[in-house]
Amino acid sequence: MKSIYLVIFILVQSIVSTTVFGFDFGDELGKALKENVQKKLGDNPGATANVVSGLIGTSQEEEIAIGKQIAGNLLGASPLVKDDKLQKYVNNVGRWLANQSERPDLPWHFAVIESKDINAFAAPGGYVFVTRGLYQALPNEAALAGVLAHEIGHVIRKHHLKILQQSSWVDLGGQALARQVGNNEKVQQLIGSGAEIMSRSLDKNAEFEADGIAIVLSTRAGYDPFSFVEVLQNIGHIANDDNSVAMLFKTHPHPDVRLEKLSIAMASDFDSVKGLTLDNRFYRIKP
Amino acid sequence: MRFFKILAMLFCLLAMQQVAAVETGSALKTEAIKKEPFSDAKTMGTLSLGDRVNIFKKEGGWLNVKSAKGNGWVRMLSIRRGDAKKEKNLADSFKGLASGRSGTGKVVATTGIRGLNDEELKSAKFDAGELKQAESYLTTRAEAQSFADQGKLKAGSRDYLPLPQ
Repeated sequence: MKSIYLVIFILVQSIVSTTVFGFDFGDELGKALKENVQKKLGDNPGATANVVSGLIGTSQEEEIAIGKQIAGNLLGASPLVKDDKLQKYVNNVGRWLANQSERPDLPWHFAVIESKDINAFAAPGGYVFVTRGLYQALPNEAALAGVLAHEIGHVIRKHHLKILQQSSWVDLGGQALARQVGNNEKVQQLIGSGAEIMSRSLDKNAEFEADGIAIVLSTRAGYDPFSFVEVLQNIGHIANDDNSVAMLFKTHPHPDVRLEKLSIAMASDFDSVKGLTLDNRFYRIKP
Repeated sequence: MRFFKILAMLFCLLAMQQVAAVETGSALKTEAIKKEPFSDAKTMGTLSLGDRVNIFKKEGGWLNVKSAKGNGWVRMLSIRRGDAKKEKNLADSFKGLASGRSGTGKVVATTGIRGLNDEELKSAKFDAGELKQAESYLTTRAEAQSFADQGKLKAGSRDYLPLPQ
């Protein structure tokens, strides 16, 4: 009988701590994190009002605020390719794909940035970037769709938020953070220096998961999913010591390994899929 | 007579170039060669790991190949495209497009565009103007639908893949 009360007591405790902290850290851990936050933000007015919560439970507003900060910093390093038609085109393709995901209501933003690197980036809240180098190596709209859908995968599964949580960063809580528009010091403290979070590797499985999502969202959107396979095959052909893929290869498993994982996951399920590649509609950047 | 010899040699060279232009690949595993790009089409032969193929075209997830084991359609994911010799060329062609750096490792000054490295990302400063510009291109759900309609893209359902093991 006693043990039942004990169980109920523990259950009630955990429910209470869940509501207080947004995430059940347990008492000691919660305390430690709270102190950690207060130490970090000690000089910051209003910081004491912040609550500790897990980033996975981060509100959509906070998620967007974090993404906005990372996006603004990344654009500080690599500005937009100055081509309105191009930028609108990638937003059209990207938004059509995002509509097929379980998070169509995020304010999705897609952009091509000035870098000769072959790479693409995602930031929380729906910010997706493709470098000029990668864009120019793409043969058609379906290939672009695959690349964008891979990044959409990182956003909808909150892979970068998980990284922030793993490095024991905690969110800064509340609507105050989300209300602040533009450069946000508090969010900057959370994400480290500049856009360095974009140069950190995600978990390998997060990359394989995003590859799978690229295939599925492409298929749902009516595109040929194998155009993304072709992109991976082409990137796999670039020499390892080529500068343009240095960061991509540092932060991702080798394309051959990714292709092998895809091959296993897709099995024969996509044999009869005949999507469109839309070679003619693909917007080509003036070199 | 000598003239004809040279002409013949030229033709040979041309023919060789034609052959070299065909994309090659090799089998990543044992895989059936099908008469049509469908899994239930007639099997024309079977590729073993490492078997060489010449690739002629792609259709969905299928590659049209010729090989010593037969000709027909093979699953794209069972073929590793390219070989060592071709890879170098392909890498070079990618390089021409994609790298702003010269062979000596020096940044090509004229482009003004460099690659991204850790340091550049770390020291990046928030650019409110560029962000605002980027956000101005937002496409609404309805706009995306009409963009899809124009391209005759039809939305369909499809389950997510199993998580990697």
